[in-house]
Amino acid sequence: MSGGPYDDRGNQDATITNPRGMGEDDPVHAGGHEHPAPGGPFLIGEAMTGGYGRGADILHSCTIAVDRGEIAVIVGPNGAGKSTAMKAVFGMLNLRKGMVRLDGEDITELTPQARVQKGMGFVPQTHNIFTSMTVEENLEMGAFIRRDDISGTLEQVYELFPILKDKRKQAAGELSGGQRQQVAVGRALMTKPKVLMLDEPTAGVSPIVMDELFDRIIEVARTGLPVLMVEQNARQALAIADKGYVLVQGRNAHTGTGKALLADDEVRRSFLGG
Amino acid sequence: MDFLNALVALANFVFIPAIAYGSQLALGALGVTLIYGILRFSNFAHGDTMAIGTMFTILVTWGLQAVGVSFGPLPTALLAIPFGIVLTSLLVLGTDRLVYRFYREQKAKPVILVIVSMGVMFIYNGLTRLIIGPGDQNFADGERFLISARDFKAMTGLDEGLALKSTQAITVVVAILVVALLFWFLNHTRTGKSMRAYSDNEDLALLSGINPERVVMVTWIIVAALAVVAGTLYGLDKSFKPFTYFQILLPIFASAIVGGLGSPLGAIAGGFIIAFSEVGITYAWKKVLTYLLPESLEPSGLVQLLSTDYKFAVSFVILIIVLLFRPTGLFKGKSV
Amino acid sequence: MRTLALFALVAALILGTGFLQSWNSALIILNMGLVSAIMALGVNLQWGLAGLFNVGVMGFVALGGLAVVLTAVAPVPEAWAAGGWRVLGGLAFALAAIVAAVFAWKRLPRKTRGWAVAAIAVGGFFIYRAILDPAVSAIESVDPAATGFLGGLGLPVLLAWPVGGLLAAGVAWVIGKTALGLRSDYLAIATLGIAEIIIALLKNEDWLTRGVKNVIGLPRPVPYEIDLQNDAGFVETAASIGLDPTTASTIYVKLGYSMLFAVVLVIVLVLAQLALNSPWGRMMRAVRDNEEAAEAMGKDVTARHLQIFILGSALCGIAGAMMTTLDGQLTPSSYQPLRYTFLIWVMVIVGGSGNNLGAVLGGFLIWFLWVQVEPMGQWLMGVITAGMADGSALKAHLLGSVQHMRLLTMGVILLLVLRFAPRGLLPER
Repeated sequence: MSGGPYDDRGNQDATITNPRGMGEDDPVHAGGHEHPAPGGPFLIGEAMTGGYGRGADILHSCTIAVDRGEIAVIVGPNGAGKSTAMKAVFGMLNLRKGMVRLDGEDITELTPQARVQKGMGFVPQTHNIFTSMTVEENLEMGAFIRRDDISGTLEQVYELFPILKDKRKQAAGELSGGQRQQVAVGRALMTKPKVLMLDEPTAGVSPIVMDELFDRIIEVARTGLPVLMVEQNARQALAIADKGYVLVQGRNAHTGTGKALLADDEVRRSFLGG
Repeated sequence: MDFLNALVALANFVFIPAIAYGSQLALGALGVTLIYGILRFSNFAHGDTMAIGTMFTILVTWGLQAVGVSFGPLPTALLAIPFGIVLTSLLVLGTDRLVYRFYREQKAKPVILVIVSMGVMFIYNGLTRLIIGPGDQNFADGERFLISARDFKAMTGLDEGLALKSTQAITVVVAILVVALLFWFLNHTRTGKSMRAYSDNEDLALLSGINPERVVMVTWIIVAALAVVAGTLYGLDKSFKPFTYFQILLPIFASAIVGGLGSPLGAIAGGFIIAFSEVGITYAWKKVLTYLLPESLEPSGLVQLLSTDYKFAVSFVILIIVLLFRPTGLFKGKSV
Repeated sequence: MRTLALFALVAALILGTGFLQSWNSALIILNMGLVSAIMALGVNLQWGLAGLFNVGVMGFVALGGLAVVLTAVAPVPEAWAAGGWRVLGGLAFALAAIVAAVFAWKRLPRKTRGWAVAAIAVGGFFIYRAILDPAVSAIESVDPAATGFLGGLGLPVLLAWPVGGLLAAGVAWVIGKTALGLRSDYLAIATLGIAEIIIALLKNEDWLTRGVKNVIGLPRPVPYEIDLQNDAGFVETAASIGLDPTTASTIYVKLGYSMLFAVVLVIVLVLAQLALNSPWGRMMRAVRDNEEAAEAMGKDVTARHLQIFILGSALCGIAGAMMTTLDGQLTPSSYQPLRYTFLIWVMVIVGGSGNNLGAVLGGFLIWFLWVQVEPMGQWLMGVITAGMADGSALKAHLLGSVQHMRLLTMGVILLLVLRFAPRGLLPER
């Protein structure tokens, strides 16, 4: 694509450039600070408006939030901006309007890595593992910000996902789809986050594995960890949700408890297939 | 038929020089491959980074010699290398701060960084020539030979001498140490692993709390260290001339690509493949063959496949063959 | 408007050189500026229009130089008699061996083809050397001080320019065929390597180019100064405008070159502009800006890239032939990548990638600076060192190193432009 003065003019010379693994997001630049902003839910992206780079807005005054001990689920049609909203909450793109607050602080200006320090954990939808590194190294990288002993947390993750313990010396890129997702979730848990964000954790895995993963996520949430999750399988996801958001074209279309949304006629008609 | 003498001649003229040259190329290629893996472009300024780093080392060496410091039988330059590394690190970090960082923030495509590195290449090249001049500088001191040809002959009673220059031995020892240290760092330290993670998946590295600017900084320091060591060893073994350091860029790129860009192991293998082919194909085999063949079959010519000036052609042809049959290089261009 | 102003600036710089230094130096700058502009147009075609990264400009320029020797130099009959035909035979054999190897690779079963190709390559190489070597030493021993090479065809030197283009195009075709791929390519390293090989060939194949002994006294498309000075009519005309015959003759000759070069540049530029705005040019830009869409529309991207790579390289070849004609000699050891590859890149980036007029402007401007930075640096160093004691080592060193300032300056200019005017002085469109 021709965009901006620092475009590559369609060059694809593999001997001089290495686009593989290059960042695609447009994270918040370093240098910002948090501000006290008491009140409200534990984590909230409030009235967020923004898009990638200099491109058009994808989010239009969109709000998503999760409180302590809750599972909040975001559903909506393809291209509704669900993933973008998650990235915006994590600082992977620059907001033009709106703010993000965590535990009584305005963190809108913080870089993603600073948000990790604040206790946020995020599992993106794609490219969510380090394929060339072993399973154990992936988990270690998850715990990158921690300076204390991580062996306890490592054991907990292996308890949650026993298969990973067997494969811990294997390159993560060689695992099956479901196992990769387990590595991805495990990596995010390694920081001992105060809130966990999952972007379609069940994408591309078989139904059996999907049920299994859902069980694990509920298990994690029961420990008191708030979970904010985007899901394709709206019906199944809303069933376990304390709070649900339906996004359409980057806007909040419906908001309510999971049960209420499942019961809502219009939501059922337009998103749940009757 | 004189198998032993042939072997000695082969070792003296092919093996030893090629191993020393291969180590130097491997160290150079490691620097290129690290930049490619982590900063995601091929650094055209790498040859000149080696030149300028070696220049710093030479200047410090002269300073040390002037105040009467020496390293016994070893070259004083070895003592100066740490200073060279510090100065070169400061230079490349300054360059990154002033030049490259801006383009990272702009999310410029890697090919733009390649062009930027051309500008840096001009500047480093000019600086080197401005400060130390374009001429040849010999800065090796200490013992010249570990084993001289005459001693070897006296020791073994063979006709053919085997000379082992101390610089060649030092090159190999230092290269092994440096490579071992680098691999340990990449595979067993937190910072090293974070570099591999960043290379593998930049966005996920951010989500894991890895600070990209720190990764980039550490990378530049390692690259500066590799460049200084590679450049100084090359200069000790041969001699220091800014232009040859610019020219060595082609075999270094060839080594990195043959091995598989982004793969440190590949860079090392590539360095030795290129070095052995260059030396082997441009060596006049007459001497070895004379020992091996019966008198009636003795070659009349030099049996040199190509003249030494074609050594670039050799690295290039190997490169093309590898790319034609294995586009990702021998080691699959695994990320760092 | 901006275009006009910038070109006026360049014209003023060159005219200024004429007034302040000498018209001779101004014309030298102008002539090489014209040649540089053509090289920059070639690179701009490749990078600006197709995003192809050619770092082997030097090689194509040198091929142009070789073309001048092969076309315009009178043949050396003794050398031909000594082994000319045998050399041709050797080359023909090498070509046949390569064709056979490619054929074997394509036709033989998978298992055996690797060995077959290796056998053909190794065996072919030794036979080729066996044919070639005696002929080469025979040729090179024919009066080595004066000739020792085959010479050329003895044709008019102007013909060498298109020949240079063709030669470069041929080599570009081979490189492009092997290095350009659909998903990714490796043109940069391929061109970097081939350029070094071409230079190595020119330096070492004495039977072809006399190697480092250089081919001097190449035929010229313009009169010789000495003939003009002996021409009474010319001397008279010169005197009537107040010039001494020597100055007048050198300026006359250089102006002659300027005219010829300007004609070529104008033709190339007009063609390049027409091409850029033709359906073909629009398609090329479409391919560049959105390759996937272009591919989906059935455009063969690799073939387009090959086409444009050949065209751009041919321009570099033509310019190289013009330059060697201007120099009047082929000096293989004078080809340096910094000067003939990377400097051309600076011209394109500074001028404005994708804009033909920008490339021309960059060619003139950067060449002017390349030449003039040295006197400017001299002056600067003079000012800096004015306070120092005469004979101090530092002063001598500083004054002696002025010539290296130009590399530094080029780097600084490139980085400044990339940073503050990333689209160049004359942006695309």
